[in-house]
Amino acid sequence: MSKIINVTSLKKSYGRKLVLDDIDFSVEEGSIVGLLGPNGCGKTTLIKILTGLIKDHEGIVKIDNEEPGPYTKSIVAFLPDKSYLPDWMRPVDAIGYFADFYKDFDKEKAIKMVTDFNLDPKQKLKTMSKGQQEKLNLILVMCRQAKLYILDEPLGGLDPAARSAILDLIMKNYAENSTVLISTHLISDVERIFNRVLMINQGKLIVNSHVDELREKGKTIDEVFKEVFSYAW
Amino acid sequence: MLGKLLKHEIRHSARYTMAIYGAAFAAMAVTGLSLLFDSGWLGAISCGMLYIIGFAAVVTTLVSIIKNFNDTLFGRQGYLTLTLPVKGSELLISKVLVSFLWIVASFGIMGLTFYVIFVYGKERSGGTMESMWEIISVSGILDMLPSKTAIIEFIAVVVILAISTIITYVGYVYFTVTVANTRPLQNHPKLYGGLIFFGIMSFVNTLGNVLSEYLPLTINVSTEKVFFSFTQMGADPNVLISYGIGGTILSGLVAVGLLFATGYIIENKVNIK
Repeated sequence: MSKIINVTSLKKSYGRKLVLDDIDFSVEEGSIVGLLGPNGCGKTTLIKILTGLIKDHEGIVKIDNEEPGPYTKSIVAFLPDKSYLPDWMRPVDAIGYFADFYKDFDKEKAIKMVTDFNLDPKQKLKTMSKGQQEKLNLILVMCRQAKLYILDEPLGGLDPAARSAILDLIMKNYAENSTVLISTHLISDVERIFNRVLMINQGKLIVNSHVDELREKGKTIDEVFKEVFSYAW
Repeated sequence: MLGKLLKHEIRHSARYTMAIYGAAFAAMAVTGLSLLFDSGWLGAISCGMLYIIGFAAVVTTLVSIIKNFNDTLFGRQGYLTLTLPVKGSELLISKVLVSFLWIVASFGIMGLTFYVIFVYGKERSGGTMESMWEIISVSGILDMLPSKTAIIEFIAVVVILAISTIITYVGYVYFTVTVANTRPLQNHPKLYGGLIFFGIMSFVNTLGNVLSEYLPLTINVSTEKVFFSFTQMGADPNVLISYGIGGTILSGLVAVGLLFATGYIIENKVNIK
């Protein structure tokens, strides 16, 4: 299997504060990877670097053998941890926007999913609930036939029923043979879907394992997480 | 992709400006109706509104350009804009072109509102439509020019200076907003933005004044022709207008440099909160 993500000797600091310290890892195509760690450990910074939002870092980052730029942005479907659509937009406007810029966006599928999820295609975002907005954001991302999906805290702030629905939406809709990188701290909800986990703490990558390796040791990801980060609380 | 960026940029930014432009056209219509029905009080109110709206159209547009640039690149919408599969330069060009378009439109609206006020005043005081040519011909300067070529040259110079002034504003604003959103300054972007903007303005104006002392490049409109000179021509009785353009050219060049710097910062140093 070829690697979709290659990160070598990655360092990033904000002023004097080192946020990512000598990170090395790669991700094979077709994997579902959990990016785990406590708040402030550097997960979002790593995601910003992978998506090309931060470029002033040390080390090498390659997505599908290219440095983050227009090409990698065309193959990466990114869901940030906040609503990023303007308030005046309606689902129908957002779908038009994505259809214009992303060749891999399936417009018909998006229109159908908006209806299936009981969203009004002509309701402005500013009048939608937070949950409805998150659903729309995720629909837009998952209606792309992307090579790599990067989802930053897709379950944050949702109740257990909504978390389950969102997780189903992700699993049923990501393109075949694509790679999914999910950042979360709600491990028990999602550990069943991962086949690899990366755990970051204080800027260092401290676990980079296939899930089967962890299971061979008789541990769940949640247990490993608690073991690794017990001192952090 | 530039075409698509322009389409969505216009669509997005129109939300800030169209309401005030719509209000301007509504006030113009009311002014027309007041003449039709010979209603003095209605005309007075609508002309007052036109006067306010004319200025408001420009101010609203200039402010909305700042807000739109800041929100779509450095606010939460930046996660959408900066992950589009386009080059940073394309993003910047689309924003510059659309800002330029709105500024021209806003001054057009302001000019139109003042023209309607002028027409209203003329009609009320029994003036003639012919005398309105005076205001269109820039207080009669165009009438004084000797040939059609001179008129075209004069208009071309005015248009170039206007374009340069608009690019200067956009360049200063975009650079200021971008630098104010880099990590060291982003905790107080408004404060640092204000300081940077006025700092650049002061520096460039001072430099322009010094430059004018040693290199007084002027554009001159005489009764015979439009011409450039490197000497002050104000004392020449044949010269109708002598306008120093060294500072304007310098500001324009600085603004273009700042736009390139803005593109570099957006590509390499941006930090969205």
